Formats: sequence, structure tokens, C-alpha cells
Amino acid sequence: MKKIALWIALSLGLIAADKELVVFNWSEYMPESVIESFEKETGIKVKYSTYDSNEAMYAKIKTAGAQNYDIIVPSTYFVNKMSKEGLLAKIDKTKLKNYTHLDPKLLNKPFDPNNDYSIPYLWGTTGISYNSKALGENTVTSWADLWKAEYKGKLLLTDDLREAFGMALKTLGYSGNSTDPKEIEAAYQKLKLLMPSVKVFNSESPKQIYLSEEVLIGMNFNGENYLANEEMPQLRYVYPKEGILAWVDSLVIPKNAKNIDSAHLFIDYLLRPEVSKSISEEIGYATPNLTAVGLLDQKVSQNRIVYPTAEDLNNSEFQIDVGESIKLYERYWEQLKTGN
Amino acid sequence: MKTIKASYALIIYFLLYLPIGILIIYSFNASKYSTEWKGFTLDWYDKLLQNDSLIEAAMNSLTIALFSSLIATAIGTLGAVALYRYTFYGKKFLQSMIYILIVSPEIVMGISLLMLFAATTLPLGFWTLLIAHITLCVPFVIVTVATRLAGFDKSIIEAAKDLGAEEFTTFYAIILPNILPAVIAGFLLSFTLSLDDVIISFFVTGPSYEILPIKIYSMVRLGVKPEINALCTIMFVFTIIVVLLSQFLLKERQK
Amino acid sequence: MLNNSLSRFAIVSIGIIFVWIVLFAFLPQLLVFIASFLTKGSQQMIEFEGNLENYTRLADPIYLKIFWDSFVLALITALLCLVIAYPFAAILARTSVQWRPILLILIIIPFWTSSLVRTYALIAIIKTKGLLNALLLWLGIISAPLELMYTETAVFIGMVYTLLPFMILPLFASIEKIDPRLLEAAGDLGAGFWNKLVKITIPLTMPGIIAGFMLVFLPALGMFYIPDLLGGAKNLIIGSFIRNQFLTFRDWPFGSAASMLLTFLMLALVAVYYRSQKVVESKDSA
Repeated sequence: MKKIALWIALSLGLIAADKELVVFNWSEYMPESVIESFEKETGIKVKYSTYDSNEAMYAKIKTAGAQNYDIIVPSTYFVNKMSKEGLLAKIDKTKLKNYTHLDPKLLNKPFDPNNDYSIPYLWGTTGISYNSKALGENTVTSWADLWKAEYKGKLLLTDDLREAFGMALKTLGYSGNSTDPKEIEAAYQKLKLLMPSVKVFNSESPKQIYLSEEVLIGMNFNGENYLANEEMPQLRYVYPKEGILAWVDSLVIPKNAKNIDSAHLFIDYLLRPEVSKSISEEIGYATPNLTAVGLLDQKVSQNRIVYPTAEDLNNSEFQIDVGESIKLYERYWEQLKTGN
Repeated sequence: MKTIKASYALIIYFLLYLPIGILIIYSFNASKYSTEWKGFTLDWYDKLLQNDSLIEAAMNSLTIALFSSLIATAIGTLGAVALYRYTFYGKKFLQSMIYILIVSPEIVMGISLLMLFAATTLPLGFWTLLIAHITLCVPFVIVTVATRLAGFDKSIIEAAKDLGAEEFTTFYAIILPNILPAVIAGFLLSFTLSLDDVIISFFVTGPSYEILPIKIYSMVRLGVKPEINALCTIMFVFTIIVVLLSQFLLKERQK
Repeated sequence: MLNNSLSRFAIVSIGIIFVWIVLFAFLPQLLVFIASFLTKGSQQMIEFEGNLENYTRLADPIYLKIFWDSFVLALITALLCLVIAYPFAAILARTSVQWRPILLILIIIPFWTSSLVRTYALIAIIKTKGLLNALLLWLGIISAPLELMYTETAVFIGMVYTLLPFMILPLFASIEKIDPRLLEAAGDLGAGFWNKLVKITIPLTMPGIIAGFMLVFLPALGMFYIPDLLGGAKNLIIGSFIRNQFLTFRDWPFGSAASMLLTFLMLALVAVYYRSQKVVESKDSA
């Protein structure tokens, strides 16, 4: 109702309508209540536009330009790619008085060394989920365990070649961002051995497949496992000893954005500890805001699935752009999926 | 024979509606993520009513589907009749383009249309979306209507001409009533295509005009919310009521 | 473009479709065609360096397999749709005139619900612990649950379910046209059910069969979301392959070339069909 009232007020010219902010994000990835109180506080009208993957968002921006958007929320290596290509505006950190709340462990990562272009919004990991009722407790500790013969036909991999190869590369002890053709080929050979075990590739909603018990083990996102636990407590999340794959969804401002000042205002608002806290609570992924973590219910902040310990993150790695090596990955991915 | 026919038809209808029935049941299911039954709830309807942006997107979807299918049906019907009746330079080209449009993968159509729109000053939003949806639907109307026109007795048209009927009158009074079932079929297919399209729409629309399928597909990050089941149920019940009501009114008028 | 002898009505109706198709179908396709001869850039999507490499790359056995698999998938889907839809459309076309519109609309209404949501509902039915298995186990027809999810069967169930109306509606429009007196007369002359079907109904409804086939087969070629969700995305099909080229690998020229190849193959098929039609027609008139 408030929104409708605001809309009427706007269309009647009761409030200045020139203050507007367009956010481009996954749908429902930012609580409506958070947006509404920002609107009320500042009088800036927020428009929320959605995409279903980083790839689709990037293709659209590349073709039509980003002038329609003020805030975008790309993941890890898209920040890297977009800033390299000059698509992003530099963020003026002097305008962000809440920047200090951020966890230093999640800043200055290789995909944006100085955080010149991106501010972390939510973060998570891609590890292993398994059904402990069916497979037994503590049976899985490493990526290598996925190759066990007993899991044949019971396995899920995320449908994302960088993640699948990243996992295989880490299993072999290499970097998940390898550009060495020999290492990539070794990962391909390793994955080829895993193919008979794979029942399904899915990145859309792995939790539903684990919940339906169509698969018992495989890759999963930590947030998906956390949410699935509400209905299936026996679904365990493992931080593999070879190192987990980590990612951050970051707030960025496109270069030719129309409302750069409002965008800074909005980012600073999202960084307020109490706002970050309610975002993390509603969405189910971890906030990079250290002060906000302190405000969270202990049940959440001490849940290792959402907030891993420092030890859990040993050898963890963030995805970065692999440049032209992607062609090699692509080639092997196609071979895997056509059975060659 | 009669009972066999009736039961075959009933089975098909049953199967077509079965998933809808399931989704209606789940819209009252307390379980948030899985498809197990966890008890009755009206929570999702409550949450839906608070979600203005979802409702706005649903209204936008219905609007665009209605306009684009009406316009596509008009253009497609006229086009199919023209292709059937007249010989003109470029006819083969037109026919080939129609099949190319149907086979063209949505992502190719979406990106190439976006490149085209980006080259003009047309802002992305309602109008670009409308143009894209009409383009998507027109070939389906043409192919459906052409089916009905095949084997149409051309001598009737000649007779009308001899009697001095204008071209438009011939079309309106003679051809159209004959092909009406196909025109309706084309309209229904267009409406369906437009209402469900995601990929083309994503590329050609802008922040000012979000539609429901894009919202639903973009939920993948967190999983499609149960509110969507509630929304689909409401839309479904609403359509059924409108259809039955119009059928009833039509009967009344005929009496 | 037009003959001088055409009436104003003809000029308008040809003009509208012509202009629309040129602007919004031909021009975009032309862009794709041009892009298919260019090169992938590292910073920009496309670099203006012309060559045929994208097409020679497509000659690889891997890509041929992807094309072949997708072709077979689309073909079987279209045939299944035809077999299921034909009797249904025929029954519908013979109901009383006042019921026909509502029966027709009732077919399409389920498809006004998002296909993603419908596919999730379908999964709830056919999954191993789903309703279908529960029912069959309860009836004692099977003793162990069927594992349908992530198999070819699941893919076909999903494809047929999604595309069925695109077969039913054109079939209906063409069967409804047949004069029932024709069949009565044939019956009076002693023709049986099969005889009437093969000699009268099917030949007369051939345009509807072809149209329905096209409207199912062609979209099925490019579809990927439903096969991936139900089949487990273990096999690449053209739809996801082209999507990957445009989104994941950002090789637009190569994706364009694949799209063009798909288009040319399809046009060749249509041309062969029309050629064979002409041969049949000329034989008939001879």
C-alpha cells in the first residue's frame, strides 16, 4: 500500500521524481522491506530490475550499455571482467562511512585488489552436500571422496563449467583458476572418470533435488544446504580438505550510471550493520559486514554452514577470469557432455 | 465407440490439468522448499498480497500478452491471406523468413533484436517488448491460418468479385468467417507464447517494464518462492472464471 | 515489389507483413549472418576480422553429434505429439458447434501458467518418491518405484506436455474443415474406419499435420530449459549449446554460425518437402 501511495504521490508531482535509483539484481535477492525504508528515508524511488545469471546480465550490458542501471550485483569474476573492460565506475569510499564495518578477510581479493570498483554484498561457498542418513555420518571429507564407486548414479554437480573444473583442479592439488593446459587436461581426465556417477547437473535449485532424494551426494552452495536443513536436518555440508570454492556477490556502479550520488548513498545504507543483518537473515547467505555478524542470532552466526571458521576456509579460492584459457575449458566441457 | 472417444478426450484433459492441480495444492502447502506435504497454510497468499512488484509484473505480463497477440493475429491473418491469394515479388522470401523465425533460437532472436534496438533511440521497455513479442507470434499465426486456407475454394472469391464486392468486403464477409477457427487458434497460441517468453523478453525490455516470467526465472539464486504457486493459482482461477462467464453471456445473447 | 494490378487492400496487407518481417526478422538475422563470419574479441564481443573459421569449426564430430541428438529429440517429440493429438483433435472437431470454442480454450488455459512452474509440478509427479510411483505402488502394478527422473523418458514427457497445444490447434483447425457428409458418403459406399482415415481424413488434413509438425518440431530444436531440468543436463543439445556460446563462452560469432547452420538445415528440409509436394501434385494432375 505504501508503495502505491508513493507512486500516486510521485505521479501527481507531490514529490520530486527526479531522484531515482535503478537496481539490477537476481529477483528477491534484496528484501523489499530494506528497499522500502531506504525510499522512505531519502525520497529516492528504487526501481528493481532482474536477471537470472551473471552471463545474461553481462551480455545485455555489453550490447545495450549500462546507462539504464545505477547498481548491479555481479559475482566474483564478473567484477574482475567488467572492471578490466572499463564498464564500471570507481567507487568513492570517502562517501561510504560504513565501509569500516566490512570484514577485512573479504576485502582486497584478487578479483578487485583495492575494492576500487566493488563492495561485497553477500558471500558464500560451493562445497559438498551429502545425505548422512543414507550414506552414514562423517563419510565424506574431501572432493576426492566423490569418486568413490559406491556413489555411482547418486551424484549431483553444479551445471557450471568453471565450478566443475575448479572442483576437479582442486582435487588434483592445482589452482581452481588454472590456465595451464596440462592441468586443465588432467582435470578433464579426472572429470571423465566421474561422469558415470553423475545423475544430474543442476545450478538452478540443487536443494530441491537433495530434498527429493534423487541424489545423495554432490556439489552444493552453502546457502542451499542451510535452507534445505529446515526440512532435512540430515543433509550435511562439507568443507573439503583440498579447499572450497568461494564467491562474493558485490555491489558495483556502472560507468555511465545516471545517479552515481544516489548509488553511493544506497551502498552506504546497505552497509549499515542493522540493514546488513536483516538482509542476511532474510536471504540466508552470509553478510561480509563484521559488525552485522555480531548482531545476528548466535544460532545463525555460529552455524558453520553459513559462517565457516577460518580453518574451514584453508586453501579456499575465489574464481577469477581465466582469459583465453576459457576456450580450452569449453572444449573439454563439450567433450564431457557429448560422451567423448 | 462413443464412450472410447469421450474417455480419450477426458484423459487428455485430465493430464493437461494434472500439473495445475498439483500446483494449486502446493500453494496451500506449509513446506517452503520441498514437495512433501507439511500441512495447510494461507501464508503464501498473504505474502503474495504484500509483494507489489510481483503483482505489478503479472499485470504487465497480461497486458503485453493481450496486445501483442491481438496485433500479431491481425498482422498474421492478413499476411497469410495475402500469401495465399496474391503473387508478388518477394513471396518466397517472406515464406522462408517465417520458418526461419520459428526455428531461430530465442537467445539469437533476443540478442539480435537488442542489437537492432540499441542502434535506434528507442528506449527499452513496453514498446520494444511489444515489437519483439509480435515478431515472435506472427509466424505461428501465419502457419496456423495458412493450414485452413489450403484447399479454400478460390472460385467463391472469384464469384464475389464478379458480383462487384470490394476486396476488403470479400475478405471480411467471405474469407474471414471461413478461417475463423484457425484465426482463434492462432490468437490462443500467440497469447500462450507471449505470456511464457523469458529469454527474448529479458534482452529487449528495460527496468521500466518487468514481466512475470523474468521475475520467476531470476529467482533461481534462492529457488522459486511458494508465493509463485499462489500467484499462478489466482491467475488460473481468474482465467477460468472469465472464460466460463463469457461463455455464459454468449449463450444468453444467443437465446 | 508489387504488381500494378493489385488492389489497395492487397497492397496494404502485403505491405504490413513485408515491412514487419524485413525490419524485425530479416535485419536481425542479417546481423547474425554477418557476425557468423567475424571473430571473437577478448574485450569486445565481436571483432571485425572476416573468415570462415566458425563454419569449419562446426564440422567437428562433437558438434555433428550435438546437432544429430537434438534433431532426433525434436523429431520423436513431434511424432509423439502427432500420435497423441490427432485423435484428440478429431474428437474435438466433431463435438457440437456451440461447445467447440470452450473446449478449445480449455486446452490452452493450462499453458498460461509459467512453464517453469508447470515443469516443477511435473517433477513432483514423476520423481522417484512422487505421486505417479505412489499411485502405481498402491495399485500393486509395480513392486519397486520407477526411476523416471533424469532419463530420456522424463525428457519426452516434459517436451510433449509443453508442446502438445502447438500440435492440437492446427490439427483441429484443419480437421474441422472436412465436410462430415464426405465421410458419411464414404461409409455408405462401404468404406470402413481405417479406409476412411487413410483415404480421406489424413490426405485432407495433411496441411494441418504439416503445420502442427512444424510448430512442434522447430521450437523443439531450440529448446533447452525443459530437457535440461528433466534430463539432468548430461547431454548437450543445440539449444543449450548456442546459449552457452552467447552467454558462458561469449563467442558470439561461433554461436551465430551455429544458429545459421540450424537455419540453413531447416530451410533445406522445408525445400525438400515442397519439392516432393510438387512432384506428388504433378503426378496427380497428370
